[in-house]
Amino acid sequence: MSSQPLPAPAPAAPAPPAKGRRFGLRARPSSLSGFLFVLPALVVLVIFLIYPAYYTTRRTLYEGAFHFGFFHYLGIDNFKELLTNDKDFLDLSKFPPGGALINNLRWLIFYISLSLLIGLGLAVLAVRVRYERFVKTAIFLPMAISAVAVGIIWLLVYSPNPDIGILNSLLRGGGLHTQSWLGNPSLVNYALIFAYIWASVGFVMVVLSAAIKGLPADVLEAARVDGANEWQIFRRIMFPLLSLPISVVTIWLFINVIKVFDIIYVMTGGGPGTSSRVIAFTMYEETFQNGRPGYGAAVAVIMLVLIAPVMILNVRRFRSEKVVA
Amino acid sequence: MVRWLTRTPIHIGLVAIAVIWLVPTVGLAITSFRKPVDISNTGWWHAFTQWDWTLHNYGSVIHATGMGHAWVNSLIITVPATLLPLTLGALAAFGFAWVPFPFRDTLFLIIVALMIVPIQTSLVPLLKLFAEHGHLNNGYWGIWLAHTAFGLPLAVFLLRNFFITLPKDLIEAARMDGASNLSIFRRIVVPLSVPALASFGIFQFLWVWNDLLMALIFVSDPNKQPMTVRIPYLLSTYGQEYNLLAAAAFLLMIVPLIVFFALQRYFVQGLLAGSVKS
Amino acid sequence: MKRRRPFIALFVLLALVVAAVTATAISAKPAKRNANSIEVLSLWGGSEKDAFLKVTAAFTKATGINVQYTAARDFIPDIRTRLAAGNPPDIGILPRPGYIGTLAKQGALKQLSSLGLSNAYMKANYTPGWLALGSSGGKLYGVPAKANSKSVIWYKPQSFKKYHFKIPKTWNQLLAITKAYKAKGLVPWSVGAGPSQSQWTLTDWFENIYARTAGPAKYQRLFTGKLPFTDPSVANAARIMTQIINNKYVLNGVQGVLGQSFVGGIGDVFGTSPKAQLYFEGGFVGGIALQQVNTALKPGKTIADFPWPTIKPSLDHPVVGAADFAAAFKSSPEVTQFLKYISTKAAGTIWVSTGAVNSPNKRVSGSAYPNVLARAEAHQLATAKTFLFDGSDLLPGAFGDTWGFALQDVIQHPGNIKSILSDFQNKIKGQF
Repeated sequence: MSSQPLPAPAPAAPAPPAKGRRFGLRARPSSLSGFLFVLPALVVLVIFLIYPAYYTTRRTLYEGAFHFGFFHYLGIDNFKELLTNDKDFLDLSKFPPGGALINNLRWLIFYISLSLLIGLGLAVLAVRVRYERFVKTAIFLPMAISAVAVGIIWLLVYSPNPDIGILNSLLRGGGLHTQSWLGNPSLVNYALIFAYIWASVGFVMVVLSAAIKGLPADVLEAARVDGANEWQIFRRIMFPLLSLPISVVTIWLFINVIKVFDIIYVMTGGGPGTSSRVIAFTMYEETFQNGRPGYGAAVAVIMLVLIAPVMILNVRRFRSEKVVA
Repeated sequence: MVRWLTRTPIHIGLVAIAVIWLVPTVGLAITSFRKPVDISNTGWWHAFTQWDWTLHNYGSVIHATGMGHAWVNSLIITVPATLLPLTLGALAAFGFAWVPFPFRDTLFLIIVALMIVPIQTSLVPLLKLFAEHGHLNNGYWGIWLAHTAFGLPLAVFLLRNFFITLPKDLIEAARMDGASNLSIFRRIVVPLSVPALASFGIFQFLWVWNDLLMALIFVSDPNKQPMTVRIPYLLSTYGQEYNLLAAAAFLLMIVPLIVFFALQRYFVQGLLAGSVKS
Repeated sequence: MKRRRPFIALFVLLALVVAAVTATAISAKPAKRNANSIEVLSLWGGSEKDAFLKVTAAFTKATGINVQYTAARDFIPDIRTRLAAGNPPDIGILPRPGYIGTLAKQGALKQLSSLGLSNAYMKANYTPGWLALGSSGGKLYGVPAKANSKSVIWYKPQSFKKYHFKIPKTWNQLLAITKAYKAKGLVPWSVGAGPSQSQWTLTDWFENIYARTAGPAKYQRLFTGKLPFTDPSVANAARIMTQIINNKYVLNGVQGVLGQSFVGGIGDVFGTSPKAQLYFEGGFVGGIALQQVNTALKPGKTIADFPWPTIKPSLDHPVVGAADFAAAFKSSPEVTQFLKYISTKAAGTIWVSTGAVNSPNKRVSGSAYPNVLARAEAHQLATAKTFLFDGSDLLPGAFGDTWGFALQDVIQHPGNIKSILSDFQNKIKGQF
């Protein structure tokens, strides 16, 4: 499983020369040349990324089932129905609430916190041992493989047959009831979340490990000399200094939560019933299974809205880096 | 001595976790070499004591279920979908880094913002677009273009940030000698940027190789579908036959694993470049 | 600092792998789509697919036209995506007449008469009942390709003999056998209604019960939108279903049901390490069990079936059955030839001789069926006093699946049957 990396705090741009004195007597690179370099990429982006996003947003206002055209104006009815009248998407009528949106919330809470905890813990501990590279490689390995492969691997682990699935075999060996990890609606989401954590912790660990190595060694040494124990050092010194990389990793995990699809498609198809659906899967189901592209587009727009804060954050951070430089 | 005592649990814990992390993958690998009868009767962990393995599953999967063909399709899809954004992205990144033009910074910010747009926002309109203009869904151009579009923002971002770190004097000197922008790009920037180009290239290669959703939608000809799409199909027709599933999954994994092990440094750099100040 | 070694290692390894796999792949290239081949899409895999391939092989031999079979994972999204992509298959063999109507209204299917299969020709091969199912708006789109009974329950004759069980004729007798198995420490039933979209098995349970408690007239009205799902007869049938499908009588309880697939459930009863005793699904179970799950089974001795028991004596034995229809997305001489071939006695005979299917074709004779199980199914279909088509397959669009999900909900929360049914009714209202 691989996913988009995070935008970097960029290295500083070369300070632009004062206006009106660009390059002075030297040959002046023409603006046209600049445009030409950028143009092919821009064209591709506009046609295949920006225009479709506009089209999808407009699509949410219509129903038109056939041939994915614009028919039958609906205004924001699609959104209204999604958020108030679709039990598979958002069901607030019972406790605990259900629906795809709530599932993403579960992912948000458990996937992010556990990935961070495990990744941070591993990074901190592994730094001190000689076989760090082995540990890192073992944990990072799942990041390279496809979510489809992750799905198959974990289907095998979760198999309800204790002669096939290692988890149930261990349960049976311990005298406990075997579980239907993917067939039990109360367990299935957590089973999926943990499989994805398995595939994601490597990223957290590698990033934080690199960050830890970059911490000022003299500060840490001084604290040790002063008698602070490891836990205090971690809490008071390391953790605050790591807040930037941690936030960067958290954002990466957050993006994964909004976009998660492949593993659900492979392992459960949203099931049993609709209990393991997430919003990305709902978009697929409504558009391609139920033939309601306007409705599905509304889900896509909701995804975009949820991810927008990160987009803004990225842009802001990039800009502030430039100013600082 | 005391330190050694308190550190032993750490050692045990770390090694245990690392081993546990490897278990699921190892389980799959072993399963792919076992006979179906063995798989349904005893867990794969028994294979260490009863060593009775076969290559038959791989043969079946490659021939009977068309996975070999799908593997080739994966390659056909991935290579252009890597080279295209790499090329277009490098050109654009150079423009953003070294060739001033109006609105340059604003445009770049827009591209930064586009990096995480979810694919879902483009699925339906692209499908329609490809269908209506040249039947691009029948072949590979649909998916090549889609992957290029979604890979470009990251390419431009990463490469531009790298290009900026190149020595200014070198480029200025070349300009003074009258070199055109294009030749500066070709002769100076590209050769000096091999690590960054490799980082993005490898990252994009794995991203496309491992992709499911785009292939599911944009490659509608079943003869052209890559492995990520065909493996879930196996699930529905041979749902219990882990011997086939395991072999197929392993075929899917082998390429990223090789890339990962051989070029780990570049792959990790590609990810890290995204996150930590160097 | 140029690190060449990793690149070299990578390229050598990759080259080797590419060479190896490409060599094997090339030696097994599937048929290229050219002017002389057609693509057929359906959702069979395993032994059902093999049975169909025997038919297509005969077709290719007779006409020289290649048939490329594509198995769909979720056939509705697959078809929709391919239609939207402008790239549909030539022919789709659809298990749901309801979906034929949806596609026909979209204009995605070609009328049979426009392909050269006249109404008169079709009437000569199929009874009006089958033809009506393959039509939409009075026009014929689908050729009935294969049929199966869904009113049989599978059991192990040797086990019945051992415990002196008699074939149950009524629901109460079936319940008694269930309880008797349980009392002996055996798991009575396995049900597979989870992964691989297996929830349709629950809809078949429901349909058989509903036909036997509410009657054929209400059944027809329910599944064609004229009776709401909130009618008390529906809740009643759902409740009866939970008399067997509950934590007591099914392998691994309700969670097990949701975690097991349709084929997996067959394996639970008839596989090499069986865990349960009884299995309900249609006539096709025989073919799958014999050819895919456990080739050591002996029809009549270690695997057999009996007809669904009656519930209300006055409603007797309606037979619920299903069929797949071949419909054309594109028109071409090859498509016409294929559809014509499917509707011949020869094709029907080959297909039923595999033991996997029954033929809706009037002209296929009973002697073509290969074993006692298949013959019994054919007999049941042919002599049915009341024949009802699989209800969930009559529902429009993808509602067959949604109904399956609702039933999954029912077995998990039998106390909420009323609200589950009213939710479903809300969704399907106005969709017919």
